[in-house]
Amino acid sequence: MSRFLFLTFVTLVFVAFVASGTDVRSARNGAIRGRVDLRKVPAPAEPRPNVSDLGAAARALDISDRLRSVVYLESAPRGAFESVEPTHAVMDQRGERFVPHILAITTGTIVDFPNSDHIYHNVFSLSKTKRFDLGRYAAGKSQPVRFDRAGIVRVFCDIHSHMNAFILVFSHPFFALTDNDGRFRIDNVPPGTYNVIAWNEGVQSEPRAVTVPDGGVAEEDFVLR
Amino acid sequence: MPSTLRAALIVSALLGCTVRATAQGLPSEPVAFAGGRVTVSGDITAGFGSDDTGFFNFTDYEHSALRLFRVDLSTSVALNPHFSLLAEIRDENIETLRAYAFYVRVRPWTDRAIDIQAGRVPPTFGAFARRAYAADNPLISYPLAYQYLTSLRPDSLPWNADELLRMRARGWLSNYSIGNTEPDAGVPLVSAFRWDTGVQVHAASAVLDGTVAVTTGTLANPLVKDDNSAPQVAGRVAAHPIPGLVLGLSAARGPFVSSTAARGAVGDGHDRSFTQTAFGGDVEYSRGYYLVRAETIWSEWKLPSLGAPVIDRPVSALSTYVEGRYKLRPGLYVAGRVDHLGFSDIVGSAGPQSWDAPVTRVEVGAGYSLQRNLLLKISCQRNTRDGGRVTESTLVGAQIVYWF
Repeated sequence: MSRFLFLTFVTLVFVAFVASGTDVRSARNGAIRGRVDLRKVPAPAEPRPNVSDLGAAARALDISDRLRSVVYLESAPRGAFESVEPTHAVMDQRGERFVPHILAITTGTIVDFPNSDHIYHNVFSLSKTKRFDLGRYAAGKSQPVRFDRAGIVRVFCDIHSHMNAFILVFSHPFFALTDNDGRFRIDNVPPGTYNVIAWNEGVQSEPRAVTVPDGGVAEEDFVLR
Repeated sequence: MPSTLRAALIVSALLGCTVRATAQGLPSEPVAFAGGRVTVSGDITAGFGSDDTGFFNFTDYEHSALRLFRVDLSTSVALNPHFSLLAEIRDENIETLRAYAFYVRVRPWTDRAIDIQAGRVPPTFGAFARRAYAADNPLISYPLAYQYLTSLRPDSLPWNADELLRMRARGWLSNYSIGNTEPDAGVPLVSAFRWDTGVQVHAASAVLDGTVAVTTGTLANPLVKDDNSAPQVAGRVAAHPIPGLVLGLSAARGPFVSSTAARGAVGDGHDRSFTQTAFGGDVEYSRGYYLVRAETIWSEWKLPSLGAPVIDRPVSALSTYVEGRYKLRPGLYVAGRVDHLGFSDIVGSAGPQSWDAPVTRVEVGAGYSLQRNLLLKISCQRNTRDGGRVTESTLVGAQIVYWF
């Protein structure tokens, strides 16, 4: 009798667990989309006045990367922190610039830093999130760095002071990089209410509460600077 | 106020300012105006070091390179793709604000790396003088060739060899009987603390670049206004055959002695004869976490032959240094330099002797970046000299560098 009662109890617990799980799975993920309006586009870093140089250095500035922002959930839904396989991303050194200027990745991502210039570069960061120094290496060579902590990493070149970039490391996958017009879309967001933040070149918005409907799309626009 | 106390106060104030600057977000990059056509950058350096009783690190009679508080502001104004105006003002130890550099840069063809610079222009000769900024120098002191004061002066001349030999190891305050008889500082082989005035042409290709300059002063004595009747001509060729390797050769020649001093010695019309001639070679190689540099400079000065025992041949000096830097971890490096400055012999009443006292300096140090543009350096140097009141000296120093 006691064995029968025990099996019945276990069965009921299992059914309840499966049923509750079925409820979650039956909810369809949604998305958050919108636009980040930059009132003032941040200027690219200018080289220091090369007063001690014997001649001018030719360099073309490109501000397109500065138009891009990152939008992310401040607090992620349950299950967002499940471990995933390490992925790779690339931040190139080309024309005395980091390309892309902004990289958004998840923790565990390995970023490769190839040198596509015919001169030396020396990638480094003294950020609390990740301190590293890759030393000097020539064209065609690349060095990897794995980012295991969430946070913002400022990346510089030790030889060319005007070269700088941002790497935003998230512990969840609910973020998106805008296009040059500021448009973004964060997909696969479970239904619920989240605080959403927009970020551009060190400036971030106040957290904005956004409710993602079941299987629907929430719209939210931001203004920065 | 004692100089040590003043230096300590300056360092404390700078540390306080930099901490506040970090908190308040002072610029870490050049400040740009007018759509990037005007850029302003700055370097602030504060040094605190041992009392240098042997004047090994002095840049003139009053200033030691180990105890220097320096503020540099540099600006570039790009008028159009062909014309730029560049300037740097500098203040040392809160004294006199000076225009260190002030020149116009002309690029006749925007698609060709040929530049003409006119005004108070960067040094053509050698490698170190163009990277004398504190953040570019892994140690605190300067190489001897660029800083150590020999006993020679452009405005004052020794009557004979004995008078020159009496000033051995007295470059920080020498005086002679011809020309300006007031005691004053001598000159280094190449001055890293003043820039010359003139016209400079620079051309560069993928593996080679060359520069020629005509200026008013000389390597040892750069000037704004010429003090004799002929200019100096200097040239440099640098090759960079592979990334990380630079090989440079330099040469310069120009009248060193001022017209007034030359007139006092041998009469009018001879000031072109007393020249400084110099040749230099430099190499830099870097890879991974290390950087190695070496430079050698030979300089010769022609002085008038006057009383006995006569200075019967030009006096010369040869300086060589090797320095290296190795990064131990992000933001932390160690560095060292071995440096020697030797002098040719002349014959005085007591026999042959080098005209100035040879000096050797060994310096080791480390640097730690508190943040990207805030660097703390410490170093220890051992100086030995074959002559003078102080023949050996061990000095320690610390320096903090903030730049934007």
